[in-house]
Amino acid sequence: MNIKALLKSLLLRKFTTGLLILQLSITLGLLINSVILALDTNNKLAQETGLDIENTLIISLRPTSGEYRNLDYYRSIVSEDLHQLSKLSGVEGVSLMNQLPINKNGMLGNFYDLDDPEIIRKDKYLRDVKFFISNENLGNTLALALLEGRFLTKDDQLDFGRNEPGNVVITNSLKKALYGDDSALGQETNNGRIVGVVKDIMLDPTIPVDKQYGVFDNRAMEFIFTGRFYLLRVTPGQVEAVRNKVSDTILAVQAERDIYRIITIAEHMKRFYSHDKGLAQLFLLLCGLMIFVTAISSYAYSQFHISRQKKYIGIRRALGARKKDILLYVLTENWLVYSIGCTLGLVMALGFNILLSQYISLSKPDIMLFILASVVIFVAGTIATLIPAIKTSNIPPVIATRTV
Amino acid sequence: MPSNSMFVYNLTLAMQSFRRAPTLYFLIILTLSIGVGVLCANLALVNSMASDPIPEKSANLFHINMNTWPDDQPPDEPMHILRYRDAMAIAESKLTKGSAIFYASGVYARDAESSSMKRFDSEVRATTPGFFELTNAPFAFGSAFEKSRGMEIVIGDELNKKIFAGKNSVGKTLELDGELLTIVGVLKPWVLRPLFYHPTEGRAFNLTDDIFAPLETAIDLGWSIHARSSSAVNYTGIEETRDKDVYYLQAWVELADMNQKSALQSYLDNYSQQLKDAGEHPLAIKNELHNVNEWLKVNKVVDQKVLAFTLASVLFLSVCIFNASSLLLPRFHAAKFEVGLRRAIGASNRHMLVQGLTESVLLGLFTGVVALVLSWLFLKLSVQFLPRLTNLAVLEPKLLVLGMLLALVTSIASSLYPLYRANYYTISAELK
Amino acid sequence: MLNMNNISRIYQSDTIQTHALRDFSLKVNEGEFVAVTGPSGSGKSTFLNVAGLLDNFDRGQYELDGVSVQGLKDDELSRLRNEKIGFIFQNYNLIPDYSIFDNVDMPLRYRGFSASERKRRVEQALEKVGLASRLKYLPSQLSGGQQQRVAIARALAGEPKILLADEPTGNLDSLMARQVMEILHDLNKDGATIIMVTHDPDQAREVNRNVQVIDGQLADFKIYAPLDRTAENKGKTVSAAVSADVAEEMADA
Repeated sequence: MNIKALLKSLLLRKFTTGLLILQLSITLGLLINSVILALDTNNKLAQETGLDIENTLIISLRPTSGEYRNLDYYRSIVSEDLHQLSKLSGVEGVSLMNQLPINKNGMLGNFYDLDDPEIIRKDKYLRDVKFFISNENLGNTLALALLEGRFLTKDDQLDFGRNEPGNVVITNSLKKALYGDDSALGQETNNGRIVGVVKDIMLDPTIPVDKQYGVFDNRAMEFIFTGRFYLLRVTPGQVEAVRNKVSDTILAVQAERDIYRIITIAEHMKRFYSHDKGLAQLFLLLCGLMIFVTAISSYAYSQFHISRQKKYIGIRRALGARKKDILLYVLTENWLVYSIGCTLGLVMALGFNILLSQYISLSKPDIMLFILASVVIFVAGTIATLIPAIKTSNIPPVIATRTV
Repeated sequence: MPSNSMFVYNLTLAMQSFRRAPTLYFLIILTLSIGVGVLCANLALVNSMASDPIPEKSANLFHINMNTWPDDQPPDEPMHILRYRDAMAIAESKLTKGSAIFYASGVYARDAESSSMKRFDSEVRATTPGFFELTNAPFAFGSAFEKSRGMEIVIGDELNKKIFAGKNSVGKTLELDGELLTIVGVLKPWVLRPLFYHPTEGRAFNLTDDIFAPLETAIDLGWSIHARSSSAVNYTGIEETRDKDVYYLQAWVELADMNQKSALQSYLDNYSQQLKDAGEHPLAIKNELHNVNEWLKVNKVVDQKVLAFTLASVLFLSVCIFNASSLLLPRFHAAKFEVGLRRAIGASNRHMLVQGLTESVLLGLFTGVVALVLSWLFLKLSVQFLPRLTNLAVLEPKLLVLGMLLALVTSIASSLYPLYRANYYTISAELK
Repeated sequence: MLNMNNISRIYQSDTIQTHALRDFSLKVNEGEFVAVTGPSGSGKSTFLNVAGLLDNFDRGQYELDGVSVQGLKDDELSRLRNEKIGFIFQNYNLIPDYSIFDNVDMPLRYRGFSASERKRRVEQALEKVGLASRLKYLPSQLSGGQQQRVAIARALAGEPKILLADEPTGNLDSLMARQVMEILHDLNKDGATIIMVTHDPDQAREVNRNVQVIDGQLADFKIYAPLDRTAENKGKTVSAAVSADVAEEMADA
């Protein structure tokens, strides 16, 4: 294979070769970044949450009638709801809460130890601690892992209207932020006394892993109008069966409710990232189209230049080149162009990555990805130009002698 | 009329050219129109997000941010939500052409006179009556309520269609959360892209509200806050918030000119200074007025992800142009003999160029038509992937025009080099 | 060396069947210089194409250097072409983008020689035709005669058993034609087997064997007086015949 000669002949058709190289490099650049986007999204979805995401159901509901303004009425309905739900076969735990984990923002507030109120100046995340208004069953329903102390009990539910904070349970990262390695049990905070510390669960994926500050109390019944979400812990395998019965069960208790979503935590997480995922999919779609278009170009390029070289192919055959020598010659010519295109494509990929990073968050490309993407380009291009290449190898040597 | 018949002749030649290599031209039209279609769809989305929804007034409407948080740990500096006393100070200033103080809520609505218990989930804007004048809200029937109190409401066209089948429902009663309120006005279909009066909290692409209720009534009825609120104190219900440091109201004013703007600015700064003097304003005085477009910009209403994708589709279009160019080259190359022949029998360079351009313009027209269809398809597809954009996926007429233009430009651009190469060869060389 | 027996080459179009070669038989021995003449369209080019394994034949047997050609697959035919035949075309058929060196080197690439071996052979072949100083030149920078000499060098580089020339001087003026023919004669003197198709009766007169092709068939007869032929170099390959008589060429030949 006379590579130098091949390169020289490429130089003689600068325009068409240049166009193809540009297309190849842009395609590679976009392909790499689209794959990065897709991988990033998958990584986000695969993060450890600390929750049983497949087997925990979230029911989002709101009462529709004005009767629920009567809080005692509201409470009685909710109690009956929870009771009926716990009786469903497959349901192992029932609770309710004001907001969900795996969410940006929500019900947030200041949280600090009464002996050190200034700490919120040093750690801004302590001003946005997630407050979960729930009941004593939350620990069981979410399978929260206890690290210190205990979870909340029925006794932790204070009389309504008492305006003093009760007992609370906090997440581990909150404990570390306030107390370091010391115990948090019995400490008095601006929102109650700490009776337990649980292992972190994913509260907000957009903030650092060690800042998942959350506090749980047993005041859902008191502030019943905040209880927008019911949670069900379900036996593995029974999720669909339970999901189908939830609506009827709740509406049977009292029909004036709008149950607008019944999903697992896994589905909730997917919803959280659906915009990211949608974008990644759109990018991949665009890539597919681009590869298609570039393959057409490669075909046209190959076809055009081969048709002008018929005579010379014939000469090679006359001098003793076999069909597979010609095939290799044509393919090598294409591969040479692809190589140049892919090398330039690396530069493009880095450039696009920087450009796109202005708008979205994107990991940096790595060598493995570049190699894989180049392989895709090579394979796609070779498939596109295979038929013209084979046709070319079939050019008979007698063409060399024709003068027309 | 020689130029006319020349034009028709060129058109005929172009059509012949297409017929001679149908697969090739099909491929060219396909790839160019995909490229133009995708870009057009993205530009439609960006256009929806970046457009001025109220151009006749956007320079005169101002959103107000203040920095009156009572301690030195504010959630934001300044804040876009105000407490009751601050908002009322703005409303009562009499320095504006009009003002609107509101918050967003939600209730379930039911036709009070109907036997059906069906309730409709409705977006509520609890507002002072100045809102309607300020936003040029279009009325189909009736008019706005006149005071911030009272049991009168205005409803939107969507809800009117759902409950009353679109008829004139002025005078009818709705049961909202157990209370009865009377409809005094029904709006026409009202599309705001983006929803300039409430672009925060990701609501920039929501539809306009279903129910507009008097502000004080909503507060008294305890209709909860459905958007951002921050509080320095504990409270149980919104009824308590008039005299507490609970921040949830937004304020918009209409100002006639720059004089009014500076007058209002001084007034606000004065107000804050008074609070400061009383020891109630620990933070720096930062009262900001943003007009509609400024406010949209500050809130980064244009979805960055869509922008990123638009960028990618520009790259895609360039690949499509390069592709079309490399497909056209062999075509014009093959036509070299004909070109040489025509030149030999007297066609000038200019004639040949015009012939070539006619072909590419015709190509551009076909491409444009296909591109617009693909553009519409791709918009529908994008919404599948990015449902948040549902209300934005519209092809306005100006985008149809843009699409056509793009198709023509790209078609001509792709033909430039091949045309140049085709006409470059000497006559004799080709005829040999 | 070359033994064709009842070769027929038939071209089939939709309606017409043309017999380009019809029961064509020819035997060529080593060291012969054969001129093939005949009217236009007689089939002499077809004969050369078949002899050079560029074209297939439909009937008959063909034996080249002891190898029976019919039934061989394309790969094997290509190898034979590469190793045993040196073809010289009327319009030189050099690759215009390649240098002289690369042009002569081309058939060697398909032989699998190492780079140093190829270099040696190319330089040696170009020496023989007197163009060793023009290695880097492009064909467009040489005259017609020089280009044809490069083509001859290309044909020699692989040390073939037989040279086939299709009107080698057809595109050259008389001076250049003279030079090219001298090279061919010198090669033949050193033992090369050459078959040359020509229109020029003077050229035909100068070689020791003449055949005529008429209507696809062979008429083998000597109508001209033969030249002397030395028998010493019989059996050697063509390029082994050293040609020291080819002078380093003049500037504008």
